[in-house]
Amino acid sequence: MTYHTPEKIYLTAAGLEKFKKEHKGLQKIRNSKIIDQEELIRLNKRIEELELIFKSYELIKVPPKNRQGIVGLGATVVVEIDGQVDEFTIVGTLEVEPSKNKISDKSPVGQALLGKKEGELIEIKTSIIHHKCRIIRINYQNE
Amino acid sequence: MNSIKKFKVNLENLSSRERAIFKKLIRAAELIAGLYLKQKNKKYPGANFYPPNVSIEEIKKAARNNPSILNPYTFVERTKSEELKAIPYHIKFKKELKPISKFLEDAADLSEDKNFSLYLRSRAQSLLDGNYEKSEIIWLKTEPFKFGFVIGPIERYLDKLFFTKCAYQSWVGILDEEETEKAKEIKDIILTGRSKILDKSEKVDVSKVGIRVDKTAVFSGLIADCMFTGTNLPNDVRVMKKYGSKLTIFETSLKEKFDQDHLPIFQAVFDKKLQKRYSQKELYEGSLRCIISHELAHSLIRYRDAEKRLENLFPIFDELYAYILGIQRCGLAFLKGVFSQKELEAILIMHICRNFTWWLDLFKNADVYHYAAGAAIASNFFLQEGAIKIRGGISWPNFTKLFICIEELCKILDYYLAIGKYEEAEIFIKNYGSFDIFKYFSPQLKKFIK
Repeated sequence: MTYHTPEKIYLTAAGLEKFKKEHKGLQKIRNSKIIDQEELIRLNKRIEELELIFKSYELIKVPPKNRQGIVGLGATVVVEIDGQVDEFTIVGTLEVEPSKNKISDKSPVGQALLGKKEGELIEIKTSIIHHKCRIIRINYQNE
Repeated sequence: MNSIKKFKVNLENLSSRERAIFKKLIRAAELIAGLYLKQKNKKYPGANFYPPNVSIEEIKKAARNNPSILNPYTFVERTKSEELKAIPYHIKFKKELKPISKFLEDAADLSEDKNFSLYLRSRAQSLLDGNYEKSEIIWLKTEPFKFGFVIGPIERYLDKLFFTKCAYQSWVGILDEEETEKAKEIKDIILTGRSKILDKSEKVDVSKVGIRVDKTAVFSGLIADCMFTGTNLPNDVRVMKKYGSKLTIFETSLKEKFDQDHLPIFQAVFDKKLQKRYSQKELYEGSLRCIISHELAHSLIRYRDAEKRLENLFPIFDELYAYILGIQRCGLAFLKGVFSQKELEAILIMHICRNFTWWLDLFKNADVYHYAAGAAIASNFFLQEGAIKIRGGISWPNFTKLFICIEELCKILDYYLAIGKYEEAEIFIKNYGSFDIFKYFSPQLKKFIK
């Protein structure tokens, strides 16, 4: 089971693959020599960022079968929040894509869910919204 | 009031051909205001759609034998023998509609976008033959066009007797691609999650919901009087369920409303300490998210028989619920880390300011009554539950309590729209719809009352 620590960058296998692809693509553009100075600076900055990620990332591992009933990073969770059924995957900050239902482990929902079990009723508490939420299902994309 | 409102927009990115199309569309839009003015009549709740001396019962009785009496696109007039008869708009305005239709045909000839031409030609025809559905479906099914253009009898706010007759309006705008992309992301977030609604048969296919943000150049007809900042069409639930809906956010209108109303009202009625917490940009974003989530929420709450059941009270519940549900959805987005707490607070604050705006707008235009009544209900509810506190005309919101109210109101409003009876809805409005709440703020708001 992978929990976040502040220093580490957590990536799913799919996320890592996506960043590697982006890195390769940017390098190709950089070598094409048809790029203006401004674009080159922006490109180099992004390549540096990606290389930094490659140096310090930790791959989110799918937990063993007997631990897959607990929410961890990379888990896709179906929940019921105040009558609304919702489904999202909990990812590290770099992979957040709310419009594709990938939410941060550091969001109020992410924080409240990590470490909780299927069927559990949990409370999401922020200073302005309090919600009860039931975990209906937890899925992991098995490797 | 000539019911035409023009906004400054930059036309630099338009080709000369596009500018020519733009001019044709503007001319058509301007002409439609003349028809709207013939429908409008402030003296009667039924405007000029019905004879002035007619009772609701008489109209209902006549409609039983002749359904065209309550057709959205007819005028009701008295014959010499004192009977009620229906005259379709396209027949009554045949002469006036011809040149408008011609401008659309001309624009279609000029356009290189085949779908846009198809839509314009179909709309040109529908203005003349009164069959609006075909062109509406083309509009819904085709990709966003460079020009945001809608024309015809559309909104029903002028008919305060039955909320049935459609008033003419038009707008012309240019697609803001960057803002549209941002709005699409909000759409995907707000419309995720499946609500538990009272009537399960009413589920909406959210994949059919489109959104665009326009730099609007012209409002004409009803929309010019009401100065809407967004819209979600079609109004016909049947068409919407089959073909989806399209939301337009009117960026130029919103910017003007924000500068002239939302921001000055915020500065007039909220505590100075609270004011310092938010930048102008954060508040504008709050106002924009408020309207986007409101229009998106409209796509979630179309109950098939609500209009028939709640009649003239329907728009009060419909508009208010869309605001409240939109904010509730923004709250869920905050929990998922999409919005920060400050951003969510800005949405709530701008909702409260919008409530004041609707009340102030009512002094200028009775057609926004439904919005103002909804604004009063929300404001009274917030005050009674302690979610806003008033001291000397200055307000301080309690965000935690505000959200409890939002959740509570969602349940109440969903009930009325899904299954509530007219009489129950009337009592609810009587209990919460008093405009007196806004009078607490009269000293601060005096300068806005025109």
